[in-house]
Amino acid sequence: MIDELNYSLPSNLNDAYSQLQEIHRKPLAGATDIIPRLRRTKLPIDTLVDISRIREINFIREHETEIEIGALTTHSEITDSALLQSTAISLLEASASIGCQQTRNRGTLGGNIANASPAADTLPPLLTFDAVVHLGSLDGTREMPLSKFLLGPGKTGLAVGELIEFISFKKLNRYGLAYVKSGKRNGMSIAVASAAVAIALDDNGRIEDIRLALGSVASTALRCPRAEKILIGKPLTKTHFKKAGEIVYEDISPIDDVRASASYRRSVAAALVMQVLSIAEGRLN
Amino acid sequence: MQTISITIIVNGKAISLRCAANQTLLDVLRDELGLTGAKDGCGGEGECGACTVIMNGKAVNSCMVFAGQADGANIETIEGLARGEELHPLQKAFIDAGAIQCGFCTPGAIMSAKALLDQNTSPTEEEIKEALSGNLCRCTGYKKMIEAIKIAARGGSANDR
Repeated sequence: MIDELNYSLPSNLNDAYSQLQEIHRKPLAGATDIIPRLRRTKLPIDTLVDISRIREINFIREHETEIEIGALTTHSEITDSALLQSTAISLLEASASIGCQQTRNRGTLGGNIANASPAADTLPPLLTFDAVVHLGSLDGTREMPLSKFLLGPGKTGLAVGELIEFISFKKLNRYGLAYVKSGKRNGMSIAVASAAVAIALDDNGRIEDIRLALGSVASTALRCPRAEKILIGKPLTKTHFKKAGEIVYEDISPIDDVRASASYRRSVAAALVMQVLSIAEGRLN
Repeated sequence: MQTISITIIVNGKAISLRCAANQTLLDVLRDELGLTGAKDGCGGEGECGACTVIMNGKAVNSCMVFAGQADGANIETIEGLARGEELHPLQKAFIDAGAIQCGFCTPGAIMSAKALLDQNTSPTEEEIKEALSGNLCRCTGYKKMIEAIKIAARGGSANDR
């Protein structure tokens, strides 16, 4: 049973901002995360402000050099997007791996980001895109890099009265992209560990740029700067992929929880790093 | 307690009602409208798919939608599938293929299958499995459900494999 609470339906984005001025009023989008949490625990929420039908922040847009995705875009909409299939395959893979069809039909990208679960599937690929989070409020808009926005489990840079309006990232035309996840089973599983990569080569076939991100191995999804650094300028060989996996194994500090032990996560993360690098290699033009 | 007024189109019929703000679409269907085909199998965790209905053409867990969020929506439930005495091809195929045992997960599984077939009239086995991945079954298993959905997609009977 869900405790008593109030529900309100703002008519547009500005109305939503007006209604979200007080700390106990929370935005409601796909509801796939908030409903189970409301059933389990008493949350400091007196009103849910239903933003799920605000069309202004439900879009996937292509500009010359950038892609923008509205916060209310559902995981199904991401998975079905031909544009994202060709420009952001790793994000598409992450969205497709979330829950089940029913959950993907309701759950939104903005919700996945704002909930800031360490296991959130879309965060590792977005971190490899150097994605920027665009926030709005009655005071206007501001933006911050996703890596700065994520502060801890469930903690973000979102202020009271603010919403994520959209995220943006530069097109990665020359890059090979991939996302892999290890869970207990395919359908419905929360990641035990996950990895995303974006990799570009120079004219000599050596790694010019690499961005590697992991999920479920720390308090937030995060990039792996030391592993990235060791791979720059190197050819794509199994030896170097293995080395990157070993560095990740040393650098991360995962926790024991109901899904897996810390030591298992460490080993899985190292294996995922090798796997994701191989998949991205196969996608380089 | 705050109550809200909503109008939902359930199986083609517009219904206006007042409900509590903390009720879900599943609560409204079962407790207010007496449509008990959609089941609560996991206590509202979004884990089991027994409460699956089709909302605006998409399969959703009705326990994961607040009643207010369904205001104005077109909702299809298992009760809307048969035409009088005549079962929907998916219902018939589930029976013909032996895809029903205790029946608790069946309404949800059939609605997931309907959402799939409404979009894709000849799904692959992988697509069928993906569409059913959010519907847990604890007795019959999935092989017969997959077979049933293939039969319904072919518009044929179990004998016509």
